[in-house]
Amino acid sequence: MKRHISISIALFFTILFFCMIILVNVTIAAPYAGQRVYDFADLLTVDEIGELEAISAQYSAKRKTDIVILTTRDTAGKDVVQFTEDFYDREALGYDRPHGNCVILTVDMQHTEVYLAGFYRGEKYLDDNRLDLIRNKITPDLSREDYYKAFKNFIRLSYKYMGIRPGINPDNILFSLWFQIIVSLVTAGIVVGIMAYNSGGKVTVGEGNYRDIDNSRIIQRRDTYIRTSTIRHKKPSTDNNSGGRISGGGGVTTGGHSHSGSRGSF
Amino acid sequence: MVVHYKCPNCGDDMGFDSQSGMLSCHSCGKKDNIENIPNEFITTTFAEDEAKEYHCKNCGAILLTEAETMATTCSFCGAGVVLADRLSGTLAPSKVIPFTISKEEAMSAFRNWCRNGRLTPKGFMTADRMKGIIGIYVPFWLYDLNSKIKVNALCTKVRTYTRGDYIYTETKYFDVYREINLDYIKVPVDASEKMNDELMDRLEPYHYGALKDFKMPYLAGYIAEKYTYNDVELLPRAKSKIESYIDSYIRSTITGYTTVKYNSKRVDIRKRHAYYVLLPVWMVYYDYDKSEYTFAMNGQTGKVVGTPPISAAKVGMWFSGIAGIMFIALRILSLIIGGGL
Repeated sequence: MKRHISISIALFFTILFFCMIILVNVTIAAPYAGQRVYDFADLLTVDEIGELEAISAQYSAKRKTDIVILTTRDTAGKDVVQFTEDFYDREALGYDRPHGNCVILTVDMQHTEVYLAGFYRGEKYLDDNRLDLIRNKITPDLSREDYYKAFKNFIRLSYKYMGIRPGINPDNILFSLWFQIIVSLVTAGIVVGIMAYNSGGKVTVGEGNYRDIDNSRIIQRRDTYIRTSTIRHKKPSTDNNSGGRISGGGGVTTGGHSHSGSRGSF
Repeated sequence: MVVHYKCPNCGDDMGFDSQSGMLSCHSCGKKDNIENIPNEFITTTFAEDEAKEYHCKNCGAILLTEAETMATTCSFCGAGVVLADRLSGTLAPSKVIPFTISKEEAMSAFRNWCRNGRLTPKGFMTADRMKGIIGIYVPFWLYDLNSKIKVNALCTKVRTYTRGDYIYTETKYFDVYREINLDYIKVPVDASEKMNDELMDRLEPYHYGALKDFKMPYLAGYIAEKYTYNDVELLPRAKSKIESYIDSYIRSTITGYTTVKYNSKRVDIRKRHAYYVLLPVWMVYYDYDKSEYTFAMNGQTGKVVGTPPISAAKVGMWFSGIAGIMFIALRILSLIIGGGL
């Protein structure tokens, strides 16, 4: 009977452990009508658009912020930033209300430029720095013309970073699920290993047990100073300039909506 | 020469009693103080002849012994006998720590120990398959070792500070010399070939306050072995045992430095004395799942050592339990820091 209990406890913990892992990745499907992928440059197939729409709908709902993708081959003479701002104003994008929470990824095929902008909640959680991080991660895929992968990553990263309190480095290893799993497993392995190793009784005598305190001592000691060597190097600069960034950050749209931003070419 | 202790009152067999530390008779309860029994046999030198037949003084049966056996119980009548000529001359132990844990206490202490095993299988924990328990006086050499140490090391003290736009790393070098006299006394090394060295090492410590001058009656009722290796043969093992102690003592004399690099380390270990002693060990033989497990218990302190079977289910339980708790803790931590999953 007792044996059964111990096995069932073991099972319970194992199941609990895996449930925790699965729980984290489960997404609550809450389809939301409305377009989020505006592929004017025809970079995607119909199927790909459908899939991106579905993923974006899910994640947008969870963060209460629309995650929008915009591509174009003709900016009508406008700069990519201006083009993005005007699009936001004209379409009245936003999850909670027209001109509301939104993140936009604009790909300008005419000038091979990319721009990311965050509005309201998007601006708060995805500041210039975080948008830079996302842009740096998707630019290689854009250059390789793997647009679908780049867009999917953009949606995924926007969702992930919006789950982390503003002002904290979202790429901190502590937030990585793999890191957490590996650390848990390694810790458990070490603890159980020590328990198994010590199950046969451990050595409890040390240096002090057999030492004759009365006769053990230092007879002679010498600490002679020889020389000093000093190395100096420059303090690392504190401002972290990211390479591909052309002009910094966000701005305010013609309609008066403030936003964060990150711009680069690919 | 076989010595058998017969009770002067009632004539029954007498044996060593771990409770009182005296030679006692189980029938009439008579107790004799061992310190007062003369050492008549030890000082006499007998001819060493291992092929000699021993006859039990109690019943006359032939005692079947191995060449190393110094004390045993007669397999016919059960009387505790001591083979005095195997304890004589150079083979005579100088000291002994008598058993302080009786057979009954040893058995219950062992059962307790099994119950507390966190990884041992449930069936093992009940400890109901104890096959045998034998009290053995195991021969040990206790070494008094003197070490003369001369160490020369290059040590550094590192300091970093910032001035203006630069970080400075300042390293000061020191020539360090230590001359140390280090004495380790009564370092035990098991001298019996039959005993597993690793098992015996883990039985330590013995409390030397209870060391008694050797008297034969202490062995009555127990098995005793004579040494297979003499003090010269075992000296290298004694030295290797204290090597790590010496290193840690040297480390403790050189403090306050960031790095220590030894240029030379001269350690000269000399044997001052070696005492031949008998230390008490309960050997427990245990059957579980068709294989036999051997455990040893310190007959003075009750410490149990040996390799118990390990239950895969329990290992799994602890492993997943710890991993699960750790994982939840990490998630909560990342939640507190990051605010969200």
